[in-house]
Amino acid sequence: MNTQVSLDVQVMLETQGLCKYWGGLKALDDISLQFHDKQLHGIVGPNGAGKSTLLNLLCGHYKPTHGRILHKDEPIEAIKPWAFARRGIGRSFQKTNIYPDATCLENCCVAVQRRMGGSFNFLRSRYSQKVLDEIATDALEKVGLGGRRNEVAAHISYGEQRQLEIAMVLATAPEVLLLDEPMAGMGHEESQLIIELLKKLRREYCIVLVEHDMDAVFELSDQLTVMVDGQHLTTGTVDQVRDDPRVKEAYLGQGDEVF
Amino acid sequence: MFFNTRTERIFIWVFFPLALLLPLFLAENTFFVSKLTSVMIFALFVMSLDYLVGRCGLITLGHAMFYGLGGYLFWMIAPEYEAVNFWVYTFYICMIAAAVALVIGFLVLRTSGIYMIMITLAFAQMAFYFFSDSIDFGGTDGLFIYVKPETSIFGLSFFDLDNPTHFYYLCLLSLFNTLIFFRLLIRSRFGRVVDAIHENPGRTTALGYNIFLFRLMSYVIASALGAYAGYLFTLQYGFVNPSMLAWTTSGSALVMSILGGMGSIYGAILGTFVYEGLHFSLEHLTEHWMLFMGILIITMVMVFKNGIAGYLEKLLEKRA
Repeated sequence: MNTQVSLDVQVMLETQGLCKYWGGLKALDDISLQFHDKQLHGIVGPNGAGKSTLLNLLCGHYKPTHGRILHKDEPIEAIKPWAFARRGIGRSFQKTNIYPDATCLENCCVAVQRRMGGSFNFLRSRYSQKVLDEIATDALEKVGLGGRRNEVAAHISYGEQRQLEIAMVLATAPEVLLLDEPMAGMGHEESQLIIELLKKLRREYCIVLVEHDMDAVFELSDQLTVMVDGQHLTTGTVDQVRDDPRVKEAYLGQGDEVF
Repeated sequence: MFFNTRTERIFIWVFFPLALLLPLFLAENTFFVSKLTSVMIFALFVMSLDYLVGRCGLITLGHAMFYGLGGYLFWMIAPEYEAVNFWVYTFYICMIAAAVALVIGFLVLRTSGIYMIMITLAFAQMAFYFFSDSIDFGGTDGLFIYVKPETSIFGLSFFDLDNPTHFYYLCLLSLFNTLIFFRLLIRSRFGRVVDAIHENPGRTTALGYNIFLFRLMSYVIASALGAYAGYLFTLQYGFVNPSMLAWTTSGSALVMSILGGMGSIYGAILGTFVYEGLHFSLEHLTEHWMLFMGILIITMVMVFKNGIAGYLEKLLEKRA
């Protein structure tokens, strides 16, 4: 069933028979996937396919009902939500999730400080750290927000807020990026910015991308997984998935002509 | 950058010099001096609550438990007929209160929002009935403190606690230090995480912070300072009483914090002085002061959206 092609790159994150039930509802049923380092792994599927649930399990937000999650071959499904980020698994959210009242720089500083330490320093000023500011500024520049450094996050455009969210994740120096619809609600030009950004990032990190914009996913993915009704349908390269009759059926069956 | 706003700097430059000079003009009027002292002590207590409620977003109705604990602890650990050292016992009481807060916080902070209000209230009521029902702790009458501590450091004693003016200055100093302490704390890297948790706990967890630990730490700090305020109260009046632990004490402290401007810290002083000022003046005018007090407070909370501090900031800050 698993048509995963073998690759000569390290497996960063792996799920084995991952299940999540909400009462009788099987939101996610027996998902076994591998996510590789320096690759972008796209996940698509109709609404309610369990894509976001999968991401929420991978970042520790939910606990799986059954199954395992391995990070570099170590089981991590039982650790606390905050410990996922400490292992280098960073995520962005479907709904913009930032600190709206703080400046863009401060938003990233919170992220950098987690890594740099000193969070239990009660006396030292938060403003006296050049190194921290520099790393935070680097993260902002990487996503193209260098010029917005001192703007209050609530005052920048929606697209920029999405970029800021990615900058915050990058500022934690992750190995794995879990991106939940980073282009949701964006116009064409703004989406294009994110696509360009992800093209740069996908050779540096292990990226898991859940996205509705099919063109973007096809353009970016090294590996593509299709999910339907909480179940794994197929995984392969973009061309393999595109030609798979089951995929067409799944989408056409929903009356959803995407391909 | 130390004091966030111009308003706060102005307030500090007005309030503290004024408070420093006031006893010189009131030398004869010891009633007024001790009234002001007790308001300052309560302002310190409100300030510690303001940090929890306004900065950490942890709404508690059980903060008075630590206020009362400060008093009872002194009675428990100090010898009855011997003057102990004030500073040493300050340390003891804050440490014991912190240890208690660590245990209670560990249980209480597993909940949030309305559930946290309920569970903190439950703990406070437990403490209230324990102390008011137990004969060993004086029941509803409370207990008397016969000997006040002495305040020498390295043989130098600056305050005589039996002298109301001296005690006034001790409390003023405590209030000032607490304000500075909270300012340092908020400005620190720890404060950055506390702000982040208040604004967006989910995001902060996703960045890898164990937010429980930061909340627990804040709870412990605020509780220790709350106990210090209770300790000062006990020393001022020479008795400790279960009403200190009552939930109404927490309730009025919460009202003062909201009135002053939640999370502004210095607003706690404003809120406490305005509340107590109204209380004092209305009490002398009419028997039904509570009715008028209630109306006035509702009006003020509705007019000043972010408390008195927020209103002053709107007036005094330059618009960006």
